[in-house]
Amino acid sequence: MIKLKNIYKSFGQLEVLKGIDLDIHKSEVVCVIGPSGSGKSTLLRCLNQLERITSGDIYINGELIDHAEEGKNQLHLPQKKISEVCAELGMVFQRFNLFPHMTVLENVTCAPVMVKKEGKKEAEDYALDLLDRVGLLDKKDEYPSRLSGGQQQRVAIARALAMRPQIMLFDEPTSALDPELVGEVLEVMKKLAEEGMTMIVVTHEMGFAEEVGTRVIFMDEGKIVEQDDPKKFFAHPKTERAKAFLGKMPGVYSRTS
Amino acid sequence: MLTSKQVIALLQGAGSTLQLTLLAIVFGIVLGLFLALGRISRNKIINTICWIYIWIFRGTPLLLQILVVYYALPQYGIMLDAFPSAIIALSLNSGAYLAETIRAAIQSIDKGQMEASKALGMSYYQAMFKVIIPQSYRRLIPPVGNEMIMLLKDSSLVSAIGMAELLRNAKVMANSSADAVFYVYAAVIYLFFTSLLTLMFQRLEKRYSIYE
Repeated sequence: MIKLKNIYKSFGQLEVLKGIDLDIHKSEVVCVIGPSGSGKSTLLRCLNQLERITSGDIYINGELIDHAEEGKNQLHLPQKKISEVCAELGMVFQRFNLFPHMTVLENVTCAPVMVKKEGKKEAEDYALDLLDRVGLLDKKDEYPSRLSGGQQQRVAIARALAMRPQIMLFDEPTSALDPELVGEVLEVMKKLAEEGMTMIVVTHEMGFAEEVGTRVIFMDEGKIVEQDDPKKFFAHPKTERAKAFLGKMPGVYSRTS
Repeated sequence: MLTSKQVIALLQGAGSTLQLTLLAIVFGIVLGLFLALGRISRNKIINTICWIYIWIFRGTPLLLQILVVYYALPQYGIMLDAFPSAIIALSLNSGAYLAETIRAAIQSIDKGQMEASKALGMSYYQAMFKVIIPQSYRRLIPPVGNEMIMLLKDSSLVSAIGMAELLRNAKVMANSSADAVFYVYAAVIYLFFTSLLTLMFQRLEKRYSIYE
């Protein structure tokens, strides 16, 4: 569904991604882990065009949506086309980014109504269904500021799902949460994975990666250092850098040492 | 005591002042919004045009702008009455001031909001008008209130082109009756309006703070 070929991304002098090749298939749950600054989030942001790549190719559903060479975008797709393709990618941010001036229900319905021109009734029915699935139906008329971080993130997931995306991108979805709120968000994500959603999850939750992930990608310094089945990866990381990284993780240490 | 004629003159003047202020703030906000979007725009030409506009209108006296609209434009074939001239000059001026206020308010909104909008497939203008700008309302209320109070008082400058607003009417009566008390009446009416505006904007601010 997603194919990345030799992706490079620099911010000025700083090279953040250094030649990423990646294929992601339907219903995969790919967990991207690695130290901070390794380019994990940038990779996701390049996928849905929040950042433009410096060079490389991005295919989504077999369609070339970005092609750049030496910092110049070579493929001048109209903005509308880019928006359409990006709408196939749902994104969940570390800091939720809910719209504070809209109620929970409005947050979930606004994009389908505005972008997909869905009818209000249709969008609301689906939104209520989604809010029910993330367990927040009773909060539909609240403003986001009245919700806990975990609840806000679950609304953000519902909001992304409302666009009926084929792929969900999660950018450290639990990193801004209090520890006791992490579980409820991971639970929703797990359910989503079980329903067959294709997911790319940048995370520090090794337990989630091991249990729910179908593949783990370990990134360091802008490169994919290692990728494997989660069970194998966490039990027997092959590279020294992955071993060193897992060694610093509390709770993982006991199994890797 | 005041004669009924004098009361009517004062009230008519107050009415004109209020009319000028309300129209100028409405046009000023619309103009300011477009100028602000222009200043945020990555299009260098639009950006520069807006910058020059703001630079001129904030950098020259309002009185001069009023005089130019009323006395200089006719030389180029544009003849306007005192009232439309006054409205135009006041709107153009307040637009320049509001532009910078609105730009700052828009840019103070968390960048994540624009990113989330884009990630949901919204266009730049959908995101701007449905997500970003509505969030800036609350932050805009105090400075817009301030600007409106300034406008109310500065509208007295249009007496220079013979518009019969509050201060001018007071001055005419003070001169003809040789009694400066008319200035006190005018001051009381100005104070009444500015207090009303202050109160109104405090209310508005409270109403818009529900979600923060």
